[in-house]
Amino acid sequence: MVRILLRFSEKLVENPITAQVILEYGVPISIVAAHIDSQGGEILVEVPSAHVDKVAEAFREKDVIVTFPKLIEVDSKRCFDCGACLSLCPVNAISFKEDFSVVFDQEKCIGSPCGICVDTCPARAIRLVEKHGLV
Amino acid sequence: MTFKKKGNSAEKRTIAEVNEKIKKGDVQVLTAEEMKKLVESSGVEVAYKEVDVVTTGTFGAMCSSGAIINLGHSDPPIKIHRAWINDVEVCHPGAAVDLYIGATIMSETRPFEYGGGHVIEDLIRGKDVEVRATAHGTDCYPRTKLSTTLTKDDLNQFYLLNFRNCYQRYDCATNSRDETIYTYMGKLLPRFRNATFSGSGALNPLMNDPDYETIGIGTRIFLGGAQGYVIGEGTQHDPGNRFGTLMVRGDCKKMDPEFIRGASFTKYGTTLYVGIGIPIPILNKGLAKKTTILDEEILTDIVDYGVPRRERPKLGTVSYQDLKSGTITIQERKIRVSPLSSLKKGKIIAETLKSWIENALFYLSSPAERLPIDTNLKPMKQTEEIPFVNDVKHTAITCTEDDEIRAVAERIINRSINHVVVTDNEGRLRGIVTSWDITKAVAEGKKKLSEIIVRKVVTTAPDEPLETASRKMAQHQISALPVIDHNRRVLGIITSEDISKLLVR
Repeated sequence: MVRILLRFSEKLVENPITAQVILEYGVPISIVAAHIDSQGGEILVEVPSAHVDKVAEAFREKDVIVTFPKLIEVDSKRCFDCGACLSLCPVNAISFKEDFSVVFDQEKCIGSPCGICVDTCPARAIRLVEKHGLV
Repeated sequence: MTFKKKGNSAEKRTIAEVNEKIKKGDVQVLTAEEMKKLVESSGVEVAYKEVDVVTTGTFGAMCSSGAIINLGHSDPPIKIHRAWINDVEVCHPGAAVDLYIGATIMSETRPFEYGGGHVIEDLIRGKDVEVRATAHGTDCYPRTKLSTTLTKDDLNQFYLLNFRNCYQRYDCATNSRDETIYTYMGKLLPRFRNATFSGSGALNPLMNDPDYETIGIGTRIFLGGAQGYVIGEGTQHDPGNRFGTLMVRGDCKKMDPEFIRGASFTKYGTTLYVGIGIPIPILNKGLAKKTTILDEEILTDIVDYGVPRRERPKLGTVSYQDLKSGTITIQERKIRVSPLSSLKKGKIIAETLKSWIENALFYLSSPAERLPIDTNLKPMKQTEEIPFVNDVKHTAITCTEDDEIRAVAERIINRSINHVVVTDNEGRLRGIVTSWDITKAVAEGKKKLSEIIVRKVVTTAPDEPLETASRKMAQHQISALPVIDHNRRVLGIITSEDISKLLVR
């Protein structure tokens, strides 16, 4: 599954856009978080990896702003590849490459509900990306 | 790997001969990892004949580190009494303007996040730092206050002076407690949910020369990206138990922040990550053999850091091969394990040192004196006894989940206590009920004990220091802790009253 963030302008809120995309393409889209009012809004959705490009394009055609949110940011200049974070990650999003470089899998990371790795980093190189205004 | 052909092999090599080869550009250097592969494919005999130097490397948190700096004299001059750099208090061990920046000293404004290790890194990076100092004022040094901004270029001397670095190996840490603990071995999740280890195993310098044949006072080394020296054995040096350490010195002005970094361990404090690489000249066949040590041959104990005692319980033994695999087994369960040292940087250090030697940028030195090989680590002589939970615990009044609230209330009144421990039929902890819970249940008309039991219970163990137990009560704002054994069987209870009684005794 891949998470994408959909931003709706004031003009679009009236339209059942997400439902239209689901019906038109027959792709299951699960809503992780949403905040919409008469001024516009945002929905964070999960889409099966195989359909991501198609779904993103479908939303864009309907004037929705589509972005792929990063849930975690790693400062590669600060990170010295110790790997202290590895054994803590509950979803195995952090691993070693063959040369013992630490790699973060943005697709597996679940971001702010977890954040267990942030305070274990001795280099303070890991940062949770702020929530996208979703409540 | 290809090697230049040589004539008859000598039985022994000298450091002078190796340096001569470095000068001529035909020295054969391998990293410890390459050496192990060569011996595996071609045997020790060939390796000894062909290889002059084996390079090693490690990059890890080394708390007993710091830097000595000389500020130069101010006008009018000051004899510093106390001083701070970027709000980190620095020690003033000598005459007027010499300061020692201890890696673990924490900032007074950003404790646990910024400390001496970061000050050292910032200075090495060429950043400005704020220096403040106070003094008593004397006839020769009248000044009582000082405030200035400077960089490393403004300092007369700026030397790393670390009194315990480069541990040969270290324990693997895990945590038996019901709560996450934050230690100098990192964040340890409850009930053995993870483990951590330190050190580079078979790439560690001291592991490749365990009898200190070539590493001694005056050995030139890679230190923080520059050339430094071993100046002695480190404090707590315990070579017999394969816990050797080194004391080292190096010129910070030449160091590279890639190989020396300030770091923070949450709720423990700050430290310095230090990169050390040592060249092992292959002076005899025995040394060639010793440098073939493998990760699987280096064993260390799995230690329960959940027990805050000097002698922490050992839960088993693992090899560095297991540790580097990312998973170890504790009590028949697979546990994920993280390094705290950077294995990647350890390798880069060994490779960098190799290229320095190949390019005649680094010559080997003969130690002026050997390091002791017979010292061991003594515990502290203590003249004051510390109380433990076992010394004050008393019998817990218990009940089971099936008891009625009324019966439990009677027990509380009759025994004039505030806590009743809920156990199962085998005496194992199931929960706790306080007089407050009972009062509340009566007010709310609840009848069943099971509705009011507090199931998430903070506990203690008989061998826990009373101070730790007391800190737990304060942290969780509670007034009693059931004392349990490893099988969660209730051994007794301690209350805040027990602790206050002990204080007035």
